[in-house]
Amino acid sequence: MNLDSKIPSGPISEKWTKHQFDSKLVNPANRRKFNLIVVGSGLAGASASAALAELGYNVKTMCIHDSPRRAHSIAAQGGINAAKNYQNDGDSIYRLFYDTIKGGDFRSREANVYRLAQNSVKIIDHCVALGVPFAREYGGLLANRSFGGAQVSRTFYARGQTGQQLLLGAYSAMMRQVDSKKIELLNFREMLDLVLIDGKARGVICRNVLTGEIESHAADAVVLATGGYGNVFYLSTNAKWSNATAIWRAHRRGAAFGNPCFTQIHPTCIPVSGDYQSKLTLMSESLRNDGRVWVPKDANDTRTPDQIPEEDRDYYLERIYPSFGNLAPRDIASRQAKFVCDEGRGVGSTKLAVYLDFAAAIKRDGQDVIAGKYGNLFQMYEKITGDDPYKVPMRIFPAVHYTMGGLWVDYNLQSTIPGLHVLGEANFSDHGANRLGASALMQGLADGYFVIPSTLAHYLGSTKLDKIDTNHEAFKEAQANVQSGISRLMNIKGNKTADELHRKLGKLMWDNCGMERSEQSLKKLLEEIPKLRDEFWNDLRIPGEAASLNQELERAGRVADFIDLGELMARDAMERRESCGGHFRTEFQTPDNEAQRDDENFCHVAVWEHQGEGKAAKRHIESLNFENIKLATRSYK
Amino acid sequence: MNQGIVRYLSSTIGRKYLMAISGLVWTLFVLAHMLGNLLIFIGADAYNSYSYKLVSNPFIYIAEAGLVLFIALHAINGISLKMRNSRTKPTLYAVTPKSVKGASLSSKTMIWSGSITLVFLVLHLITFKYGAHYETSVDGIKMRDIYRNVVECFAQPGYVAWYTVCLVLVGLHLYHGFASSFQTLGINHPKLNTVIKRFGWAYSIVVAAGFLAVPFYVFFVKG
Amino acid sequence: MAGNNNSRTMRIHLKVWRQKDKSSEGRLVDYTLDTVSPDMSFLEMIDVLNGQLVGRGEEPIAFAHDCREGICGSCAMVIDGEPHGPQTGTTTCQLHMRTFNDGDTIVVEPFRAKAFPVIKDLVTDRSALDRIQAAGGYVSVSTGNAPDGNAIPIAKDLADAAMDAAACIQCGACVAACRNGSAMLFVSAKVSQFALLPQGQAERERRVSRMVWQMDEEDFGSCTNMGSCAAACPKEIKVDNIARMNREFGRAMLFGQQREQRSED
Repeated sequence: MNLDSKIPSGPISEKWTKHQFDSKLVNPANRRKFNLIVVGSGLAGASASAALAELGYNVKTMCIHDSPRRAHSIAAQGGINAAKNYQNDGDSIYRLFYDTIKGGDFRSREANVYRLAQNSVKIIDHCVALGVPFAREYGGLLANRSFGGAQVSRTFYARGQTGQQLLLGAYSAMMRQVDSKKIELLNFREMLDLVLIDGKARGVICRNVLTGEIESHAADAVVLATGGYGNVFYLSTNAKWSNATAIWRAHRRGAAFGNPCFTQIHPTCIPVSGDYQSKLTLMSESLRNDGRVWVPKDANDTRTPDQIPEEDRDYYLERIYPSFGNLAPRDIASRQAKFVCDEGRGVGSTKLAVYLDFAAAIKRDGQDVIAGKYGNLFQMYEKITGDDPYKVPMRIFPAVHYTMGGLWVDYNLQSTIPGLHVLGEANFSDHGANRLGASALMQGLADGYFVIPSTLAHYLGSTKLDKIDTNHEAFKEAQANVQSGISRLMNIKGNKTADELHRKLGKLMWDNCGMERSEQSLKKLLEEIPKLRDEFWNDLRIPGEAASLNQELERAGRVADFIDLGELMARDAMERRESCGGHFRTEFQTPDNEAQRDDENFCHVAVWEHQGEGKAAKRHIESLNFENIKLATRSYK
Repeated sequence: MNQGIVRYLSSTIGRKYLMAISGLVWTLFVLAHMLGNLLIFIGADAYNSYSYKLVSNPFIYIAEAGLVLFIALHAINGISLKMRNSRTKPTLYAVTPKSVKGASLSSKTMIWSGSITLVFLVLHLITFKYGAHYETSVDGIKMRDIYRNVVECFAQPGYVAWYTVCLVLVGLHLYHGFASSFQTLGINHPKLNTVIKRFGWAYSIVVAAGFLAVPFYVFFVKG
Repeated sequence: MAGNNNSRTMRIHLKVWRQKDKSSEGRLVDYTLDTVSPDMSFLEMIDVLNGQLVGRGEEPIAFAHDCREGICGSCAMVIDGEPHGPQTGTTTCQLHMRTFNDGDTIVVEPFRAKAFPVIKDLVTDRSALDRIQAAGGYVSVSTGNAPDGNAIPIAKDLADAAMDAAACIQCGACVAACRNGSAMLFVSAKVSQFALLPQGQAERERRVSRMVWQMDEEDFGSCTNMGSCAAACPKEIKVDNIARMNREFGRAMLFGQQREQRSED
């Protein structure tokens, strides 16, 4: 398998400029001859669609929703990082690059991350120009706040709805192109297969979810921006429809999968309240700017939080990590929450929660100031739990939030299939083993607005692309493949709902491949998943017909893919015999319970190649070279 | 003026501008009319002379034509918008909301209060403007004794009841229409909104009460 | 603490709108759930019902939902005659069963308006709103080298007011609540966001005109200033935005024309 990362030569700060100059261009008159498909309409998909259409390409954008603006980027709360150094606190592109590499526990590519930091600056400018209402100071300039893993304030925000506002910006840019007929919007479409001709990605097969019709769409290149796969765990902060089907079907067609086991567990989510729970809600990391995390010192303390005096409280993050305190990176904050709960010091009825307390901040700044910063988050918390966080500390617990793994891409964001480019959370590229807060929005927009327009031009300009249409044999084969997959699902006619089986998968994954993994737990998981797969394919029930709106059928297809992907995650976690970032193998930890990396043997990306149905995927590696930042043990103490 | 402005005025917002402007013209007119009516408390001569001065002024025809034009615009536009809105919302829900999310009575019933007001207006013109012609003279000038029409009409309990119902509806129509016109014309400011709303409330009560003072006075005091 | 009340369960009767497809007649169908936890969200309650329906081999109730945290704008149910149910400032997914009482009968219907045809059960097609956005809900600036983000200072209160308007989630509750099926609150929120910001000034007349015309073309009703839209809005967008849009539209009518004529000279 060819895993050439195509990292340009030269000093890190000049790689991207040099690469852009060395890349082929497509002249403006020729651009309208190229047809592109973008799957997904979140930050990465919408911004890529807009930027490519602005250049003159013909773009078809697909989304599973009624409106492209419903993509789950909309739910990102806290903010977006950019190395503007508006606050004069010593920030720079290099520092953002450094923080991201370190935050990712040295498992990401230097060149990609540096480019991300460079582009971060342009993102803010462009979003402001698009009319994104970022928070401002009284003087009219942009406001910033701090996020985990950084000692500077570089996070730009729009109240607690930054993802929404950035997505609406990208969506509006995209709708402008819809209006000028450069983008054809295909809503209510779910991509179910990728079509390869001569080894290149030349189109997709999708299902119109309203009519059940299976459609073929041909193109010169395909861009996947379909997000992450956190829903493998059933309970996560992802939206209910977030799924891995597009990337998984591309993987089965030959796109290698990078670091599938790298999952981010977010420390501040609203805890589970019952078996019926359908999803978990995030409470933005920005809350840790003013909220203090604590549990009682004594595991048997049954007093209500207001009755527990200061001396009986353990502000454990401030105690263990004095220099970063409550703003320790996500993987670390999550793990510490788990440790204190394992010690029996958790709070609430389930004892699976810790307090996030605003009493000190309210006393210091007044309730109005706190409400101004976090009002909508406090309101959201109250709606879900029935508690008023202005009076009672929030109860929070870690939950699956983001997947750093994804389809492997080179520096051009191209997968191992020529012509298939992967953007945003769907690719594996920039966050290593742990993503820092407010970096997902940055990556999605950098990929879409600034990277793909130039790297895709290079592909189109340097590749011989034959004229093809959807009558090609490959489309017929793929369409038949999708049809038979659907019939197979419809004809199981068993007794269990897709949701029931998905819950089962989720519990297996969380218990055995969640915040902690061990050889033992992974072994168990690898025994259980095949059983679950059998159960799925023998006992699933889908009522209704395939040729109409059938949400059970949609769900079933996604669960089938999650089961297979879950297995790959378990194998990847098993093979990576070290701890790094969000991947915490209990066998590999320092005496003070921090992740212990093994740079000698695992300073690489694990890249999995599909070997065909029923066969185990093959593991390859892409070595990571750190030329600028010295490999070091992360310390936030 | 060009074709563009027609396109603007025939949009749903443009037609609401026309509703607001014609509504405001009539809002001012009813106040003036009501104030004129109050002359009845001074006496028959004052009342008749005022009426005479109005009808003998040649500008009255222009004013009347204007009022007819505005009411026609208001009514036709209002009815056609209502028809459009019935089409754009063909079905309401099985349950009517009980909580604050519901609309006010005044706003929901504009088409009915408006329609009845229109019927009342026509009948009102027939009763008074084109009603029985009595003559009187004040200071030697011969003029119509409209005062007598008023007294005769408001002596009938049935008529007073109908008049009362109609004027309450006019008040109701005015109450929503007043603030609504400002909103439609975009005359709106956080500091101004409450003032407009309260003023509209007072205005509609004053207008309805002023009109109703006459029949009550005639029926209960004079009768 | 309220959030920990797991012991109590409720019996809930539901009357849910079932409609096979666009062209079929729909009707309200009765269901009863015996073990509803007060901590369930309204959608989780429907999930439980759907699980039972699939278990019986019946088709589950189709409904739109996604993020389940009140931001994507997918969920859209009219609960007892009110879009998103009885609580103010709440989406259906954020509505919890603790709002209801044991033994309650709840009527669940789809959002209704001519412009939102029912696709199946509680799912409606709201793409008309996207077409309004495409008509002008943007600042025409292409990706490239925009000026520095701090090049134009924007007063905090203006930025805040723009953000208030931009908080709209395009769920369509305003249209559903309006007795005229008007989309004015939605359109005005977008118009306001850009009318308030300096970035939106260059094309403000064109924007408001095209968006309003598209709104009319999609067969949304006119505004009669009843305010049900704002009362139903889960993001509490204010009707002041509608006044602003009316003002912007009037401005475009009076001055936008002249500007166009001048440029033609």
